Amino acid sequence: MDTAELKRDWVGRTFDTVSFKIETESMLLFAKACGEQLPQYIDPDHPDFQAVPNYTSCFHGRRALPEGFPMAMEQSFDGGKCVEWKGAIRAGDTITAKSHLHDVYEKTGRSGGMVFIVHRMEFTNQHSEPVAVVDWKMIRKTG
Amino acid sequence: MILDLHSHSIVSDDGRAKVENYCQWIQRKEIPIDGLVLTEHRLYDGDSDYRPLEDQFGLLIMKASEVETEYGHVLVFGVNDELRAAFDFGRIDLPLATVVQESERCGAIAVPCHPGRPRVGMCAHISTRGEVEGVRVIETLNGGSRGNENEQAAALASRKGYARIGGSDSHIVSHIGRCATRIEQNVEDIADLVSVLKAGRCEAVSLEEGQWIPQN
Repeated sequence: MDTAELKRDWVGRTFDTVSFKIETESMLLFAKACGEQLPQYIDPDHPDFQAVPNYTSCFHGRRALPEGFPMAMEQSFDGGKCVEWKGAIRAGDTITAKSHLHDVYEKTGRSGGMVFIVHRMEFTNQHSEPVAVVDWKMIRKTG
Repeated sequence: MILDLHSHSIVSDDGRAKVENYCQWIQRKEIPIDGLVLTEHRLYDGDSDYRPLEDQFGLLIMKASEVETEYGHVLVFGVNDELRAAFDFGRIDLPLATVVQESERCGAIAVPCHPGRPRVGMCAHISTRGEVEGVRVIETLNGGSRGNENEQAAALASRKGYARIGGSDSHIVSHIGRCATRIEQNVEDIADLVSVLKAGRCEAVSLEEGQWIPQN
């Protein structure tokens, strides 16, 4: 697997777009799972009620990798997610996520060589305002 | 002067610490260091300007790189445009000899780091690939080392007569200053640091009960 080729051929192309209707119950469940206690995240009657900042980390698109990408999901393990908050998500919003591969790179560590594939989901609300960017790293061992 | 010569900020793909937060931590915890060097993975951060933080916190903040070679990871101090053009910092299979020679040619210095670490430390590769000419300093105290990795590095330094440095290899705020390098003169910028390292006027030290203790 040549990472320079992967980067050239696959990075930056949107391969999935999916929309989600945001419901109060989902926001509350996620906030509870996070142990959140601030009222704007756990009280639907709060005037500034909104989703916790990392809420978008729970959404998945229809594909993790573009069709035809020369590596199967099963060959990688989860390297975690990084959420950048861009704006408030509120009950009743419809958010749309567009997915592309943001980066492909290699590194070495005490456990050997690894290729990192960074799947980026960019979320906007029904007003086309950005609300979050989620980078999900998938790691494949190479040696 | 005490400097942490190995640290990573959020500019590195696996760094979780903002430089401002390092500074706040050093101040709040009264960690007795005079500065730090950001050695970002596989790149040189030419964009970030830490001078306002230097002024605010009274710390020296310098920039360097950690590149990857067939002998493991290597810190490069004194990176300039000429050196950045000499090889691709993003590769994971750089020839160590090239990194050492090109660094010297461009007025920088290459320092193999965590040499005792499996796969990405120099000790693991010397028996199969042979000795490397031109190395004069190695990192013998690394804050992320396990088991006897630092002892292996120190043994290599003793055997080869290398000068020694220490660095925390911090990726999160609370790890900054776990170990460091003592320099018996004032360093004001990266050029000064390169001169000191080339002359071998440095010593790896670890912080124990508020005191910097030289490595055995």
